[in-house]
Amino acid sequence: MDQSTSLVEVKDLVIKFPVRGDQKKKYIIPVDKVNLEIKKGEVLALVGESGSGKTTIGRALVRLLRPTEGKVNVQGKAINDLKGRELKQYRRIAQMIFQDPFGSLNPVKSIENHLKFPLKKHQGYKGKALDQKVTDLLFQVGLTPVAEIRKKHPHELSGGQQQRLAIARALAVNPKFIVADEPTSMLDVSIRAGILQLMNDLKRDLGLSYLYITHDLASARYFGDRIMVLYGGKVMEIAESKALIKQPLNPYTQLLLAATPGSESKIDLTNVVNEPPDLSEGRKGCPFVNRCPLATELCRETMPDLEEAMEHHFVACHHYKENKQIN
Amino acid sequence: MEDRQPVLELQNVSVGYDSPAGMVQAVNDVSLKIYENTIVGLIGESGSGKSTLGNAIMHLLKNNAVLTSGTIKVMGRDVYSLTKNELRQFRWSQMAMVFQSAMNALNPVLTVEDQIVDVFLSHDKRMSKQAAKKRARELLEIVSIDPAHLKSYPHELSGGMRQRVVIAIAIALDPKLVIMDEPTTALDVVVQRSILDKIKEIQKIKKFAILFISHDFSLVSELASKVAIMYAGRFIEVTDSQSLMASKAHHPYTEGLIRAIPHLTADEVTIEGIPGNPPNLVELPTGCAYHPRCRYANDLCKRVRPEIRHVENRDIECHLYETVQK
Repeated sequence: MDQSTSLVEVKDLVIKFPVRGDQKKKYIIPVDKVNLEIKKGEVLALVGESGSGKTTIGRALVRLLRPTEGKVNVQGKAINDLKGRELKQYRRIAQMIFQDPFGSLNPVKSIENHLKFPLKKHQGYKGKALDQKVTDLLFQVGLTPVAEIRKKHPHELSGGQQQRLAIARALAVNPKFIVADEPTSMLDVSIRAGILQLMNDLKRDLGLSYLYITHDLASARYFGDRIMVLYGGKVMEIAESKALIKQPLNPYTQLLLAATPGSESKIDLTNVVNEPPDLSEGRKGCPFVNRCPLATELCRETMPDLEEAMEHHFVACHHYKENKQIN
Repeated sequence: MEDRQPVLELQNVSVGYDSPAGMVQAVNDVSLKIYENTIVGLIGESGSGKSTLGNAIMHLLKNNAVLTSGTIKVMGRDVYSLTKNELRQFRWSQMAMVFQSAMNALNPVLTVEDQIVDVFLSHDKRMSKQAAKKRARELLEIVSIDPAHLKSYPHELSGGMRQRVVIAIAIALDPKLVIMDEPTTALDVVVQRSILDKIKEIQKIKKFAILFISHDFSLVSELASKVAIMYAGRFIEVTDSQSLMASKAHHPYTEGLIRAIPHLTADEVTIEGIPGNPPNLVELPTGCAYHPRCRYANDLCKRVRPEIRHVENRDIECHLYETVQK
């Protein structure tokens, strides 16, 4: 792919967490050798269930945690080992929006102070220009009437407004890249669409790139240019959003799609076993093997590589070719 | 068909919360009939009154909430005329409820078997413990859980399995009505779907009625045959779920919800949010509660609250329904 336009490049990302309570030190590996790329102005939707590693990847990309192995380059610069001043500078490039808007705001700070702090600290705004910038940001995210809203505190805002404020705060440092971790899943249905639209507008107007983390394929299809499906810390499939929904190749993607309301595919799910994937160190094979209808001995032994099955459509499955005939 | 006895009959039901700001009407004059062997969905956003209504039917309202008017009949019996003892027997054998948080609905220090056996023994004094254990095993098989888990404690089960156990307990005494309040909301997509499919399967066999409460519009419209949409404590539309496939010919709020959901398989996906926020029940707007967010609202909507009317096979509470459709 075109190197010059890629903003985020991730190679063989591995993240390990120690497991407490055992005498011998053990690890789980929630993210195992993940590769991804996000271009300038592109939205990559990261879809998976709980325990798939999607949030962990998001946190690593904004350096809220440090990857154990692998390379993460943003704007051509390696970010894994940034410290102090350099890390602070990186925060001007990459920002995060969290699932729980209220939990991510400071309850004793006024709305305008949420924005003034990053504007002063990162952008050097002062006096009148600072006030004007706060007004502009609030207006940009649709928090109006601005004059009234800026003096309020987070608890006086509705959930949707709180999430808009969290977005405004992320925008205050003028970032290039935003990790949005389930930004609408705690909001009411009628409010969700507005937040997704806002993020879409910002992508168009500011040329922002996003990693959009979600469990909902329908919103991933709406907002994502490409969708990447994760299971048990492994990438199962990546493709352009429309292509992935139209012709999912990995059996896990097919299962996920069949479970999503509004899908046309019918798979009998009444007796699906709900075994969480094995994340322990030294595991072998494909993480989906225990739930997969196509699983063979080969799947138990070896994790399949991602291969380009169709143009720009990558799948990790030993048996996807046989699977196509089933569909 | 209409002279069959409904399993659940709500007649002009209102529920109020006694709050420092005065009486707050969480449910405001709603009526509905549910017949056996049907699934009816109740859709609403947070604060719309949907869970309050579910609790009111079960006679489970908290201290500061009261049924202020109307009657709730289950199998023809007024739930609020039962004595404490009668109510205890009536719940579970006639009506049961499945709550959102399965972990909190189960007793953490009892095994799955003990909890199910408990239900049988407390409702049928003559039943032997042996027989109750046998029934417990059968119930787990119905909800597709390995009977080996009879000896498990709730924390040893996954979220999906716990919710299956809760469903098993709810249907233990073959109730005629099961109220499900967001039973799958905290679960992963695939688990959610497998539990819903399981609910459907059991419902087909046992033929009980389900009132399925949820905020998830697309999920409910797939599961239920009839849907009531609640806004600020009122049913603003009651319609068959088939009609929810298209955004035409609905209450403006329903129309807004349909437009707000991205469609998975459409060629070009567009969505449109509803402006504003769900209303605060303490300071409800005048007239139609939806008018500040409604794109069609006129002066009449601001002044006069519309009454629910039966038009074209559905019940709609909107002054402008006919005008908007043209």
